[in-house]
Amino acid sequence: MQEFLVYIALGLSIGFLVKKYFFKTKKKNNRDPGCDSCH
Amino acid sequence: MKSKSLLNIALVGNPNTGKTSLFNQLTGLNQKVGNYPGITVDKKQGKCKVSEHLTAEITDLPGTYSINPTTLDETIVLETLLNEKNDSFPDLVIVVAEVENLKRNLFLFSQIKDLQFPTILVINMSDQMVRKGISIDIDTLKKELKSEIVLISARKNIGVDDLKKEIENYENWNTEPVANISDKIDSVFFEAIETAFPEFSIYKSWLLITQQKNCDFLSSDLHRKITEFNKDNEKIKKYQHKETVYRYQIINEILKKTYSVDKNEATDLRSKLDRILTHRIFGYIIFFGILLLIFQSIFAWASYPMDLIDGFFANLSELAKTNLPEGTFTNLIAEGVIPGVGGVVIFLPQIAILFMFIATLEETGYMSRVVFLMDKIMRKFGMSGKSIIPLISGTACAIPAIMASRNISDWKERLITILVIPFTTCSARLPVYAILIALIIPDERVFGIFNLQGLTLMGLYLLGFTAAISSAILLHNVLKIKTRGLFIIEMPNYKLPSIKNIFYEVVEKTKAFIFGAGKIILALSIVLWFLASNGSSKFKNATEFVTSQESTNNLSEKVLSKKIAFYRLEHSYIGNMGKIIEPVIKPMGYDWKIGIALISSFAAREVFIGALATIYNVESEGEDVGTIKERMAAEVNPKTGEKRFDFATGMSLLLFYAFAMQCIGTLAIVKRETKSWKWPILQLTGMGALAYVVSIITYNILS
Repeated sequence: MQEFLVYIALGLSIGFLVKKYFFKTKKKNNRDPGCDSCH
Repeated sequence: MKSKSLLNIALVGNPNTGKTSLFNQLTGLNQKVGNYPGITVDKKQGKCKVSEHLTAEITDLPGTYSINPTTLDETIVLETLLNEKNDSFPDLVIVVAEVENLKRNLFLFSQIKDLQFPTILVINMSDQMVRKGISIDIDTLKKELKSEIVLISARKNIGVDDLKKEIENYENWNTEPVANISDKIDSVFFEAIETAFPEFSIYKSWLLITQQKNCDFLSSDLHRKITEFNKDNEKIKKYQHKETVYRYQIINEILKKTYSVDKNEATDLRSKLDRILTHRIFGYIIFFGILLLIFQSIFAWASYPMDLIDGFFANLSELAKTNLPEGTFTNLIAEGVIPGVGGVVIFLPQIAILFMFIATLEETGYMSRVVFLMDKIMRKFGMSGKSIIPLISGTACAIPAIMASRNISDWKERLITILVIPFTTCSARLPVYAILIALIIPDERVFGIFNLQGLTLMGLYLLGFTAAISSAILLHNVLKIKTRGLFIIEMPNYKLPSIKNIFYEVVEKTKAFIFGAGKIILALSIVLWFLASNGSSKFKNATEFVTSQESTNNLSEKVLSKKIAFYRLEHSYIGNMGKIIEPVIKPMGYDWKIGIALISSFAAREVFIGALATIYNVESEGEDVGTIKERMAAEVNPKTGEKRFDFATGMSLLLFYAFAMQCIGTLAIVKRETKSWKWPILQLTGMGALAYVVSIITYNILS
C-alpha cells in the first residue's frame, strides 16, 4: 500500500513537472514579454 | 442662462489636492482635513455666501483621478455630474488642482470641461510655487484651457475671495470643450452618437455609453439606446484608450507652453532632499550605506526565524517517522516531502525582510531617486537604473530578484537583468562558500587587520557581481532586440510609508514564491528522493551482499548498517548517475561522490553540503569524525593518498558554484517571467559551460 502511494506521488510529481515544462498553457490573455514584435 | 439665488456648486478634484480645505474655507463647516486619499467618502455639503445676493450650496465630492469610475466613491462623482435629476447636479463646477501635479489634475479637468459645465480651475498650494521653482503663465493657460483660473492656498486662506468674485460672474464663463475627442477618435461614430442623443453634449453621451453599468439613473428607453452603441465592446475599449492618449497629448502641449519647473531655484524640503539623495557623490554614498544596513539586517534578523523553521521541519520529519506506519511512503514524507517543503519555506524570512525593505523604500519615494541615480551607470552595461533593485535583491535570492525585474519597462533591459541576476551571490551559495573556504583557506590575517577567509568570501561576492556586469555587456551587444532607449520616471513626493501597503506587498511576494517555485521544488524533491532511495538489483540486495562480504570483519551493527547505507547510495539511481558523470567531472578534480552532491544540488545549491554530509557520514563507518567540515577535511583521494579537498579542488568547486546555474527554482521563474524555454536553457548551458571551463582551468593550474 505504501509503495503504491509512493508511485502515485512520483507519478503526480513527474506529471506536474512535464506539464509545467513541456506543455504550454492555453491562457493567452497576458502579453508575452518574450515576443520581440510587441516592442 | 437664468440667474439663480442659490447655486449648486460641485467641488471636484484628485485626491490630496486640498479640496476639503477649500470646502472648509468656503462653507465655514468644521470638517476633518487629512493628507491621505479617500478622506471624503460621501457627499459633503455646506452653504457659502458668495456675495450679498448669491448663496451657493457646495458639494464636496470624493477625490477622483477621472470620471471613469473604478470605485464606489468615484461613481458618486459620475452620477452627480451626469444625472440632472440629482439634487446636487451642479450649476457650475470647481476643479481643484495641486500646483505640483498639474498634468495629472488637468486630465480630470479636461473631462469635466468637455461636459460643458461652467467650470473654473482652482490651482491650490500656489504659495509653494516659489519654493518649488514652479512658474505658470496663467494668461496663456486660461486661453488654452478656455477657462477661468484662480491661484489659491486653501490652508492659508489665500485667493479664496478671488474665487468667490469669479463665481459671481459664472454666467459669463466659457463653456466650450477643451478637447474635441470626436474628430480624433472616429468622427463618423461620434456623429451617430450626436444624432442619437441630441439632448446631451457629445461628451456626456460618450460617458453614458462607456459608463452605462455605473449609471443606475438612466430611463429604460435611454438604456436601450445606449446598449445599441455598446454592442462592440472591444471598439469602445479601444476608443477609451485613444481618448486617454489624446487628452494627455493636449495637456502636454498646453503645459509645455505654460508650466515650467526650475529645480535649481527650488528651496522646499523635497527639492533639498532630492539634491542630496541624487547628488553625484553623496547620492551613491547614502545609497550604499542604506544597502549595507539592509543586508546586515537581512542576515541578522532572518537567522532566528530561519533556525526556527529549520528546527520545526526537522521535528516534523522526526514526528512523521515515529508516528506514521513504517514503510516507503512514510520515508518519502519524512525524508522527501517535509525536507523539500522546509527547503522552500526556510527562505521566507529573508524574502519577507528583503521585500519589506524594498516596499518601504518604494513607499517613501526614495526608490525612484535610486533608479534615477543608477541609471547613468547601469545603462553603460545594457541595463536600466531599475535593474539595480533586482541585482541587489539577488544577493538574498535570485527568485524574488527576477520577480522584482517586472518594473523594467524595456524588454531588452529586463531580459538582460533576468539573465545576469543568477551570477550575484545568493544566500544559498553562502553555506557552500563558507565550508569550502574554511577547508582550503588558512585562518590568517592580512596586514594584521583583514581575515584572509573573510577577504576570500568578499572576493567571491565581487566575482559574482563582475560576472553579472560582464555578461550584461556581452548580452547587450549580442541580443538583437529593439530597445526603446527611453527612461521616464516620475519622482513622487516623499511620504511616510503605509504599513498596510508594505504588509500587502510582502504577503503577495512571499505567496508568489511559495506557490510558484515551491510547487516545482516539492515535485523535484520527491523525484530526487525516489532516485536516491531506489536502484537496480545491487541496490536491492545491498544488505545480503554487504553482510556476507563483511562477515569476517566482526563489525558492530551500527558500522554495518552504515556500510549497507553507503553501498545502497552508491548503487542507487542517483549514485549511478554520479558514476556516469564521473569521467566528465574528473578533469575538475571531483570524484563520483562529489558528482552525487553536484547532481543533488542541481535543484538547490545548499543541498551540496547536505549530500556530502550524508556520503561522508556513511563512509566514516560510524566512527566519530566530528563535524561535516572535519569529515570533508579527512577525505582522502585513494589514488594520490592526498586530501580530496585540497586547494586546487576546493578552488575549482568554489568557482564552479560561483558561475553554475545550480537552482531549479530560478530556472522555473525565468521560464515563467520570459514565457519561453529559450532563456532558461541559455542560462543553464551558458553558465554551466562557463563554470565547467573555469573549474577545469583552475584545477589544472593549481594542482
